Amino acid sequence: MTGAGSVAGETGETDRRVLEQRSAAIIAGIEAIDPDHVLHLASSTLKIVLAHFIDGPGARPGRRVFAMPREEEGVAIAAGLELAGARPVLIFQDNGIGNLLTALLTLSQAYHLPLLAVVSRRGGLGEYNSMIHTISERAEALLDAAGVRWFQLDARTPVGRWAAEIERAWAFARATHRPVFVLVNLMGS
Amino acid sequence: MADLDRADVLRFIDAAAPGSPIVLGLGGIAREMLAVAGRKPNHFVSLDAMGQTVSVALGIALGLGHRTRAGKVIAIEGDGSLLMGLSVMSTVGHLKPETLVVYVLDNGVYLATGGQPTASADIDLAAVAEACGWRGARDVQTAGELAAATDWALTAEGPVLIRVRITTAQLPAEYFLEDPAILAEEFRRWLRAQPPQKEP
Repeated sequence: MTGAGSVAGETGETDRRVLEQRSAAIIAGIEAIDPDHVLHLASSTLKIVLAHFIDGPGARPGRRVFAMPREEEGVAIAAGLELAGARPVLIFQDNGIGNLLTALLTLSQAYHLPLLAVVSRRGGLGEYNSMIHTISERAEALLDAAGVRWFQLDARTPVGRWAAEIERAWAFARATHRPVFVLVNLMGS
Repeated sequence: MADLDRADVLRFIDAAAPGSPIVLGLGGIAREMLAVAGRKPNHFVSLDAMGQTVSVALGIALGLGHRTRAGKVIAIEGDGSLLMGLSVMSTVGHLKPETLVVYVLDNGVYLATGGQPTASADIDLAAVAEACGWRGARDVQTAGELAAATDWALTAEGPVLIRVRITTAQLPAEYFLEDPAILAEEFRRWLRAQPPQKEP
């Protein structure tokens, strides 16, 4: 193996280890919330997290786990769940933020309905999709412009703190009666 | 040819399901319900969020399950708004909430914005519901058909859909400008006050 190949191999191993550690932390954080409904949308970076809830240990009796065809539909279903006293969590990628803004601002935000969304980052270092950065790099700016409160978990926060931060975001959403997004970077940055 | 006006249909549904949570679609549906029935704690008024009326009702139905005796969870949606969020038809069909009843008041136009046509004339919405796995759907055009379909929907296992062909007549109605946070809290308090379901 050439030197360049070894470096690439080590990077791949590191990325895989980071993905697994951060995925485990996200799972722990969401499980600490103990949601009764988990709404999700397809995501390659979240595949370990999604597998836990769809057909892993997180797919437990009394918890409903299902796919939302569009993020805005998930926001509206979560609004209804919240009105009915349920404990929903949404899991999706940041390239779907553009889809949900109208529902989020005219429903959850306007009606003071708490909502926790765990949103994976795409489009940065390690990204394999050539075009997803055009929306994903603007995730923070879009949320800021919309007045949506968000927190970021990436390499700057020790992975050992991630689960507790996600749990605190849930409590913060309920305390402040509004949607709160936790942006999670699973790609090593 | 439709001979039902929207206001008459709304008045009928309100009287038929006085103890059920009802999610009202935006625009004319919400405003005319307020005009014919007044402000009701069991009515959740969507002031915007076009396309999401059924999704909100789905969430309420899932969240309540059979925990209360509130009965059916009803959504009253327009054809234009439903077509904006048509993917919810598949989600409802997949999850099959037993208490969900959806009325689609179909006048074929976006009436609140001047009457621009929707695509509903070419869409068999009852067939869409059935193809998505809903437990039943009916297409009604007269007061008698509406009454029979409502009797069926309020006793049948859901989810069920009733498409009601309506005219483009509009009731003069004021804009509704209440703070949505108050609307949500009033509705939530009403839901919480419903008696719990007896254990089987």
